[in-house]
Amino acid sequence: MRKSLLILIGALCAVLLYFTAQSADRVFRSERQLPRTPVEQQARYRLVLITQELETPFWDKVAAGAKAEALASGAAIEVWGSYGKDQEDFLKKLEIAIDAKVDGIIVQGLDSDAFKNLTKVKAAFYGIPVITVGSDVPMVDSLRRTYVGSDQYAAGGLIAKQLIADMGKSGTVILLGDSREEYYQQQRLKGIYDILKAYPGVKTAYAETADTREQVIATTQDMMNRLPDVDAFVAVNANIAAAMIHEIGRRSQVEPYDIYSFDDSPDSLPLLEQGKLDGVLEQSPDKMGRAGVNLMVKWLSGEVMPLNTDGYPTEIKMLKLKEAP
Amino acid sequence: MTSIQRKIWTLAAIVLFIMVAIWTTLTYYNQKTQDQYNDILQRYLRMNEVTNASQQTITALNNYRLKPTAANLGLLDRSKEQLRKARMDVMTLRNADNDFAIANYMNLIDSLLETTDRSLLFQTEKESEDSEKAFSEATRVSKYISEMTLTLIDTELKTYDRFYRGIIEQSAELKKLGVWLLLTITLLMLLFTYGFSLSITRPIQKLTQAAKELSRGRFDLKVEVKSNDEISFLAKMFERMRININNLISEIQQKAQLERELQQNKLLLQESQLRSLQSQINPHFLFNTLDTLSKKAYLEGSEETSDLLASVAGLLRYNLKRLDRSVTLYEEVKVLRQYMEIQKARFTDRLRFEADIDETCLHVQIPGLTLQPIVENAVIHAVEPSEEGGTIRFRIIDGEQRVRIEISDDGPGMTELKVRQILEAHPVETEGHSTGIGFSNVVTRLRLFYGVDDVMEIASGPEGTTVVLLIPKTRRFDSDD
Repeated sequence: MRKSLLILIGALCAVLLYFTAQSADRVFRSERQLPRTPVEQQARYRLVLITQELETPFWDKVAAGAKAEALASGAAIEVWGSYGKDQEDFLKKLEIAIDAKVDGIIVQGLDSDAFKNLTKVKAAFYGIPVITVGSDVPMVDSLRRTYVGSDQYAAGGLIAKQLIADMGKSGTVILLGDSREEYYQQQRLKGIYDILKAYPGVKTAYAETADTREQVIATTQDMMNRLPDVDAFVAVNANIAAAMIHEIGRRSQVEPYDIYSFDDSPDSLPLLEQGKLDGVLEQSPDKMGRAGVNLMVKWLSGEVMPLNTDGYPTEIKMLKLKEAP
Repeated sequence: MTSIQRKIWTLAAIVLFIMVAIWTTLTYYNQKTQDQYNDILQRYLRMNEVTNASQQTITALNNYRLKPTAANLGLLDRSKEQLRKARMDVMTLRNADNDFAIANYMNLIDSLLETTDRSLLFQTEKESEDSEKAFSEATRVSKYISEMTLTLIDTELKTYDRFYRGIIEQSAELKKLGVWLLLTITLLMLLFTYGFSLSITRPIQKLTQAAKELSRGRFDLKVEVKSNDEISFLAKMFERMRININNLISEIQQKAQLERELQQNKLLLQESQLRSLQSQINPHFLFNTLDTLSKKAYLEGSEETSDLLASVAGLLRYNLKRLDRSVTLYEEVKVLRQYMEIQKARFTDRLRFEADIDETCLHVQIPGLTLQPIVENAVIHAVEPSEEGGTIRFRIIDGEQRVRIEISDDGPGMTELKVRQILEAHPVETEGHSTGIGFSNVVTRLRLFYGVDDVMEIASGPEGTTVVLLIPKTRRFDSDD
């Protein structure tokens, strides 16, 4: 009786010892040091990519391309920016980048005085090279080293050619643009007009609108009232395409109209897939990111000096519905 | 042999050791955790320090711009120094995740310092507009620094998120460990104490049992205790005591036996004394009567009867007088002849007495009434039962040291047992009608008288018994009383 009790207690002891040992192991074995992952290798250059439209498919691709290229060339890159074209935040980020004395800034061009002031005065004062990407600001205004991105003039031309091909040599076209009249938008318009000049039968009407949804709708309404026989629409700024199409759709069928836009808005591709847009000008964001970083690194290391101030155009092509993925 | 004290010390030492081990481990662990928390806090504090220092710098700069005194300038310099120190501290916070941000952060601080300097420079050069611009820029940078501090702290939280959770889990685990440890130690101590107490109490129990048995009077059970401490020593002592008691008891029993025998002997002595007293009643009256009878027999012409009565009277007188003192062998022989005369009168020609006496030995000292009882014994056993009587030979031979007295008969002899009893001076149940002084009495007296043991030899067989007395010519101690 007593013996069996003793054996029971002994077994219990063993079990307890086992659990205690396990618990102690868990307590004492676990890493007790702050994970001070040492900085294995100081990156050669600290670059910053700043955009106004973070987390849009277009800029995500630019960022991905830039990061991949930075990784390959041994530079560290961070993607900063603002959401939804918040210019104030965007400019703040740009200023922080300059104050933080990064080695190079790759920035989405913003055709505003504040932007120009920052790049031209402050960045130049600190000796920080700036490359514009996606949308350009003329060099005289921004002192940017170069521009990497689509040739917006050519892009406008491409749209215009597609328009002629689809609509025919005569008709009424409404061009809708952002009232901020940024440089890239002017380039696009210029490209469109230059092509359409050759076709006297094509009547164009250009309207500017603020980029709030209500304003876009109001302007679209107004234009359609003034030009009831409109055949085609071109949203020169991709961000207003969605609201514009919505308004057209409220009035009548969307299909009869030829509607075109660019791909630098998150709405563009879904609208094309739905068949509401007849064509989207596709740019190469990934290449922009890669080329931007590549050129910056090359410039910083002195490999390519000077950079082509006219810019390095990336590929553009017209994306039609049937070609859409 | 481990003593109980050592056992207790060992137990205490084990307990102490366990406690110290646990205490040390926990303290060490606690210290480590503390350090860790300090590290973590330090990181946050350093970042916060940058924010504070940058804000202070801006405030100091503003104060100086409003009131450009030396005191304010000193304040500004101090806060700038503080900012520089904070910047150096921040450098240590670098890791792979925040490398970029920390570099930016430090550069921002540099920018702030530069802008501040620029503002100061413009101030001294009275270009207040530029100074104003530089100041507003510095303010902006300071704001950026504050924001970046928050971003950094955010990054920090993300980077160390798992680590922090690990710490929390670990502290929970530590709590569990405490419970497990408590349970284990409690049980272990229980087991230990049980074994320990058993190792002390079990031998004591055995000892108690043994003591109980002893107290009940069972001295034959061996006290056996298997232990390696004082208890076993105690048990051994106990066992020895038991054996001693056993021995003592048997000794006492022997003594009691002896006592009893002594008592018996005393009774016998009293009896014999009584007998001798009885025999002394009016001896003179008896002698005189016997003398008178002898004279009367002589007067009446019966000379033989007269001689016989005279012999009886002489023998009786000698008997009463000489029992307790020494006499010469000559006197003894004379009494023996008187006794034989009486016996001859009784047995007539059935009793033949042959004496061969070396006269030169008759001066030897001998206790009274030594020969008569032996001869009487021979008469009783050898002559009386036989119809044709018997022959008793009496010889005194001169030896070198001793006088040899032989008394032999041709009776049926004695048993071996009887011979031994006589020689060992046991009181023998006397048969027939002797004068009362037994054979063994003679032996005892002779031994006492001469102080030697080998005074008598008895050779007995079917053809007769020969008793030999070996009388030393000189007594070992000459106390002739």
